[in-house]
Amino acid sequence: MGKNNVTRRQFLSYTLTGVGGFMAAGMLMPMLRFAVDPVLKADAGGEFIQTPKKASELTSEPTRVDFTYKQKDAWYESDVTSTAWIYKDDNGKIVALSPICKHLGCTVNWNTDKAHPNQFFCPCHFGRYEKNGKNIPGTPPPQPLDLYPVQVKNGYIYLGKAQPRTHV
Amino acid sequence: MHEMKWIPEDIETYLNVKEYVDTVVVPLYGISMDKEMKQSAEAAEFITLLTTRIERQFTGRLILFPPFTYLKKDPIEKALADLFEWHNVLKADFKHIFYLTSDSDWRLKEDMLQGTLIWLPSIPLKSMNDSQKFELIDNQSQQLFSILTDKWIESE
Ligand code: FES
Repeated sequence: MGKNNVTRRQFLSYTLTGVGGFMAAGMLMPMLRFAVDPVLKADAGGEFIQTPKKASELTSEPTRVDFTYKQKDAWYESDVTSTAWIYKDDNGKIVALSPICKHLGCTVNWNTDKAHPNQFFCPCHFGRYEKNGKNIPGTPPPQPLDLYPVQVKNGYIYLGKAQPRTHV
Repeated sequence: MHEMKWIPEDIETYLNVKEYVDTVVVPLYGISMDKEMKQSAEAAEFITLLTTRIERQFTGRLILFPPFTYLKKDPIEKALADLFEWHNVLKADFKHIFYLTSDSDWRLKEDMLQGTLIWLPSIPLKSMNDSQKFELIDNQSQQLFSILTDKWIESE
C-alpha cells in the first residue's frame, strides 16, 4: 500500500537540479497535484477499506480475504488487490494479518507446510510464523507479520493500513 | 521489498539480496500481425496478468524478466535458438528458470528446452466482468504457485 515510485524529496531534487529552468515551471503543476492528492493522503493517513468478508463468517481458523481499493500514483489510478489472513482469537477478538513475509516479501500461506501444521508458511526460504503472526526463531523472518487495524461496520470487516510490530 | 520487476528500483533491491533470489520467470510472447494480431495481444495480456501475480506472490525469491518476444511467422526453431542464448546467460545466476507461454508451438520443443516450460492456453478475458476475471486469474495463479513451490521443495 502507498508505494510511491518517487519520494517527495527525490521529486523535488529532480525539479531543482539537472532540469533546465524552463522545464521547472512546467513541472510545478504535476508536483502540486502530487503533493495535495487526496487519495494519496488518505492512504497514508490510514483510511479503512471494506472487505467482502462478514464478521459473522469468521472462525478460529485463519481464512484468506482479498480486498480491492484504488491507488493513485503520480501518473494514474489503478485497482490494487491486497490480502489478509483473518480469524477470531480465543477471546473472540478479530485478528487480521498481512501475508507479506518479513524476510524478503513473499506471500505466506496458512497451514501449507505438512511438517509444521497450524503455522503460517513462506515457501520462498521456508520462513514460519505462529498463528498470531509471531516469527519462529531459527527461520529467516526477523519480525512478526504486520497487523491490520480492524473495524466492523454493518457486519462487514474493514481494514486499515497494516502496521509493523516488533514483538507479539 | 514488495516487488521484483525489471525496473531500476527493484533491480537495486535484487542486487542487494541476490543470494536469496535463485529463480527467474521469463514470459514468451509470440507476435503476430494481420488476422492473428488480436489473438496474440490477448495471449500477451493473459500471460502478463499471470506473471504479475507470480511476481507478487514470490517477490523475495524470484525476479520477473522482460518478455522474450519473437515473430510467429518465423519457424519456432529460430526462436528456440535465440532462447538458448538467453538461457545460457540466465543460468549463470539462476538455479530455476521458468518459461511461461500460451503459444502451443513451444510444447513440441519442450524436451529441447532446458528450464521448465509452463504452457497455458490463453483465455479471452474480454467478455468477463472484473470479479470473474480476478477469480479466473487467481485460480490459474494458484496452480502456477504450486508448480514453483514444488520445484523448490524438490531441489532442497
Ligand atoms: S521471503 Fe519469506 S522466508 Fe524469505
